[in-house]
Amino acid sequence: MKLLNKANLAPFLERLRPEFEVVAPLYEGQDILFGDLDSSQLATDFIGKPRLSPKEYLFPQRERLFTFNVCPESIEIEAHFNETKRVIWGVRPCDLYGLKFLDLVYLKDYIDPYYQARRANTLLLGLNCNEAEESCFCSSLRTGPFAKEAFDLLFTDLGDVFLVEIGSRAGEKLIEKGANLFNLATSKEREKAKLLEEKSKKTFKTSIDLGKIKAKIAAASDNPVWAEEAVKCILCGGCNWVCPTCQCFNVEDIKAGHKTQRIRYWDSCQLGGFTQMAAYNSRAAQAERLRQRIYHKFSYNPDKYGGEIGCTGCGRCTDVCPAGINIAYILRRVANE
Amino acid sequence: MNKNIYTPDLAIITKVCDEAAGIKTFTLEFQEPEIQKSFDYRPGQFVELTILGVGEAPISITSSPVNKGYLELSVAAVGKVTQALHLKKEGEVVGLRGPYGNGFPLNEVKGKNTLFVGGGIGLAPLRSLINQIFAQRGDFAKISILYGARNPALLCFMNDLERWTKIENSEVLLTVDVPDAKWKDNVGVVGSLLPKIDIDIENTVAFVCGPPIMIHFVILDLLRMGFGENKIITTMERRMECGLGKCGHCNIGKSYVCLDGPVFSFQQLRELGES
Repeated sequence: MKLLNKANLAPFLERLRPEFEVVAPLYEGQDILFGDLDSSQLATDFIGKPRLSPKEYLFPQRERLFTFNVCPESIEIEAHFNETKRVIWGVRPCDLYGLKFLDLVYLKDYIDPYYQARRANTLLLGLNCNEAEESCFCSSLRTGPFAKEAFDLLFTDLGDVFLVEIGSRAGEKLIEKGANLFNLATSKEREKAKLLEEKSKKTFKTSIDLGKIKAKIAAASDNPVWAEEAVKCILCGGCNWVCPTCQCFNVEDIKAGHKTQRIRYWDSCQLGGFTQMAAYNSRAAQAERLRQRIYHKFSYNPDKYGGEIGCTGCGRCTDVCPAGINIAYILRRVANE
Repeated sequence: MNKNIYTPDLAIITKVCDEAAGIKTFTLEFQEPEIQKSFDYRPGQFVELTILGVGEAPISITSSPVNKGYLELSVAAVGKVTQALHLKKEGEVVGLRGPYGNGFPLNEVKGKNTLFVGGGIGLAPLRSLINQIFAQRGDFAKISILYGARNPALLCFMNDLERWTKIENSEVLLTVDVPDAKWKDNVGVVGSLLPKIDIDIENTVAFVCGPPIMIHFVILDLLRMGFGENKIITTMERRMECGLGKCGHCNIGKSYVCLDGPVFSFQQLRELGES
C-alpha cells in the first residue's frame, strides 16, 4: 500500500494525461458530477456520492452502434467503437459494484462489443466513503462503504493523506508514472483505515435487511406496497436514469440520405412505452412496473447472475424522485409484510 | 474481435406472397451463400429483422429447417417495421440477425400425438414445427390442427392447411368468428373446435399460438380437458430490442423471453409469475 499527500492528488492525475483521459468528481454549482479533470474544481472531501454514477463512461446514455452506408452496388456496415483510454478517479464503492454488475450483464454469455471496448480501456480508481449520506444503504448490501474488489486503485481519505491500495497490475503501473509523489504506507495508516471503516459503518441512517428481503421477495408479489407507491409516480423515469446498474436500452435507426445510423439509448422500465408492442402492452399498470423494477434488481438478477443483486445501495433513485418514492421504504415493506 | 452481436447480415427478398388480408409472406435468402448455408434454426426460433432506416423487430420464422436455402417470414403489417416491410418488393434488401430463442421441443414429443391450436398470424411459428413434424411423419402419432381467425379473409397458409388434411393420421379443423356467405366450416372461437377432436389426452402435447386473449382461453379449455400443465406449450410475445438478453425489455421473472423463450410450457409461465 502507498500513501499520497492530498495536495499531490491533482498533480498525480494531471501526470496521467495525455495518455489517459482523466475523469473525476468536480464541483458544478450545488452539485458534484463526474467530468473531465479540472484541478481547480476537483472534489476530494465530499460526503456520499456524486449526483450521477460514472456509468455513462462505460454505457453512454446515447451511443451510435453502427452506420449503414447505402451505395448503389452494395450496403456496408461500419461499426463505431470507443477505445479512449480513460482513468476515472473518485469512484465510490457503490459505483464500483455497479460496474462490476454491468460487467456481468454485458460481458457474460453474448459479449457486447461496445461495452467491452470501453471497459477494456477504463481504469477505476476507487474512493472509500468515510461517511454516509441520508439515502445511502450500501452497508446493508455489503457493497460499501469500503470497497473490497473491482478497483485498479483504491483511495482512503486519512485526513491529509490518501492510503492507496493496489488492485491490479494496470493500477500499479499508474503509480509508477507518479512514483515520486507516493510514499510507502505503514501498519499505522492501515490501522487508521480500518478504524475509519468501522466508524463509517456507524454513520448510516438508512438500512434494510437483505436476508429477510431475499427470503420474502419470492412470495411478496401481491404486496399492497406496489399499488400504494406506484400511484405517486409521475413517470419521469428518473430512478432508472440515475441508477448505476440499470441496463435497459432502446435501439433506433436515424436516416440521413444514404446513411442510416443505428443508435441505442437508455430506456426506463417505469415508462408505459417500455413494454408497448404494436398490438398491446404486456405490463400496462404502474404497480406492475414498480414491482418489476424492484424484482429485477432483488430477485430476477440474483437468480440469473449467481446471487449478485442489481442494486448498489447508493440511494440515488430515492434522492432524485420528485414524488418521494423511496426504495429503502419499499424494501422494508417487502421484508416485513 | 469476435463478430459484433448487433450487426445484421444482409438478405434479399426473393418472393413476396399475399398470405391473407394485411398479411404477407416473404421469402428471404442471405446475400452471402456461406451465411445462408450455415444458418441453422429450430422451429419456434425468431430473427431480428432490419428495415434500413426504419428499425428492427423480432419476427418468428415460419419456414422449416427442412426447407434448405431460404427463410420465410409471415408478417402482419401492425407496427413501424412490419408496415415498412410490406412496402418491400422482390429483389430488395433487408437485414437479419439470429436465429434467437429456444424453439419448440421436437425430440421430446416423438411418438406422441400433437395438437396444434392456432389463431390468425399465430399459425406462423406453428407452421414451422408442423412442416418439420410432417417431414418426419413416422416419428409422430396423430396430428390435429385447429385453426381459427376473425374472418375467412384473415386465414393464412391455406395451401399448407389443404395439404395437411390429406396426410395420413392427421386432421385439420377450421373456424372463424365472423363467417362470410361462402363459409361452410365451424363458426366460433378456436376453442370451440376442441370438443370435435378425438384424441388420447394422456399421450398428447398441445401447442398453442395466437393473440394473448386466445392463448389465455385455449389454455383454460385444455386444462379443463385434462391436459397437464407441462403438456401445454405456448409462445410469449414481448417487446424486444436485442434478442440477446441485454436490452431488458422482455424480462419476465428470471427469464428473458428472447433467450429462455419464446417457447414456454404453461407450467413454466405460471412459475415466472406474469402471463
